[in-house]
Amino acid sequence: MKAIKRRIKSVGSTMQITKAMELVSSSKLRKAKEKAEAGRPYFEKLYEMMTEIAESKKDFDSPFTEKREAENRLFIVIAGDRGLAGGFNSNVLKMALAEAEEGKNKPKIIAIGKKSIEFFAKRGFELVGEYPLLAETAKTADCADIATLAIEMFKRGETDQVKIFYTTFVSPLVQNPISMDILPIYKEDVEEENNTLITYDPSPEAVFNRIVPKFTMSLIYCALSDSYASEQSARRNAMENATDNAEKMTEELSLKYNRARQEKITNEINEIVSGANALQ
Amino acid sequence: MTPFKLEIYTPDRLFFDGETENLIVRTTVGDKGILARHEDYVAALPIGKLKVKIDGNFKIAAISEGTIKVSRDKTVILTQSCEWAEEIDVERAKAAKAKAEERMKQAENDEKAYLLAEYKLKRAINRIETWDLK
Repeated sequence: MKAIKRRIKSVGSTMQITKAMELVSSSKLRKAKEKAEAGRPYFEKLYEMMTEIAESKKDFDSPFTEKREAENRLFIVIAGDRGLAGGFNSNVLKMALAEAEEGKNKPKIIAIGKKSIEFFAKRGFELVGEYPLLAETAKTADCADIATLAIEMFKRGETDQVKIFYTTFVSPLVQNPISMDILPIYKEDVEEENNTLITYDPSPEAVFNRIVPKFTMSLIYCALSDSYASEQSARRNAMENATDNAEKMTEELSLKYNRARQEKITNEINEIVSGANALQ
Repeated sequence: MTPFKLEIYTPDRLFFDGETENLIVRTTVGDKGILARHEDYVAALPIGKLKVKIDGNFKIAAISEGTIKVSRDKTVILTQSCEWAEEIDVERAKAAKAKAEERMKQAENDEKAYLLAEYKLKRAINRIETWDLK
């Protein structure tokens, strides 16, 4: 009986913790979602402008659109800094790992989030960038650093392909790990030259080459905000389930406890009555 | 003067959405004035100042690197960061300037760190100059 009582107590305190974490995640989720949405228009405009430029000329050429055999790959993998978020970390990391093992060479990794760093360091991948504790306070400047790193590597030919892995926020209940190609930029072949008579200052290529780093930065920033919102949401769900389970468990345990208590009382009464009977 | 629509986006917010009569912007090839019914035009913007005429008065903002796109219905500016002159935290900019200068001295042999510090210095100076113009 004492053991049951102790269990009830420990489950109760765990429930308090999970409940608190659930509340914290809910409020963080709201902020994270706002942040993720605030960045989207900039990103969309940038993308629109980029494709427009790329399609404006037939003989358009930029180092960023050059396709090479993807021998040396660079993966940017975004995961969380803490666990206790259901399958949030493992889903995205497993997806990246599966793809990493496909190619001939192991890709280089830029790991964002402690869990991502630990995961790839343990498996012997070469980490060219480690960014722990970034997601919550991420500023565009941080993302610019990451973007510069990736772009420089691409330009120098140290990598032929840059890919990003993160978790996208679909709804409060659904978060999916996804991957996206960053570089080279996929360009559709233009059949007809788009003669809209736009003046580019100084030239389409020059403007395009300046936009690409901004675009990459913005893409990373969006992915990071998206991933952070997903993390909070996943944690909120995991904690909600944990709280529910704890509640159910306390209920069952108290039922057990009460039964045991009643049994004990009945036994005692039985003993007293049989004792009294024996005396007569 | 006929006003035209102007939108300024930064990664964290829609900075400006409204009408202006005249826009003066520094591009990588020089200053450019834009009035209503300007031809379609796209240019890259370095760190610099932006002058926006609203109700006959110019408002000044500091911007750091971006792109401008002028089309018939509206003008869009995309930039890393943008602040009106009166929004600028000049003490912070001065601190950033001092720090960047310090870094540049230390990083003489490290090209990457030097360039980064130089970039930060440019931004800080631009902010301070913009603040002075308010």
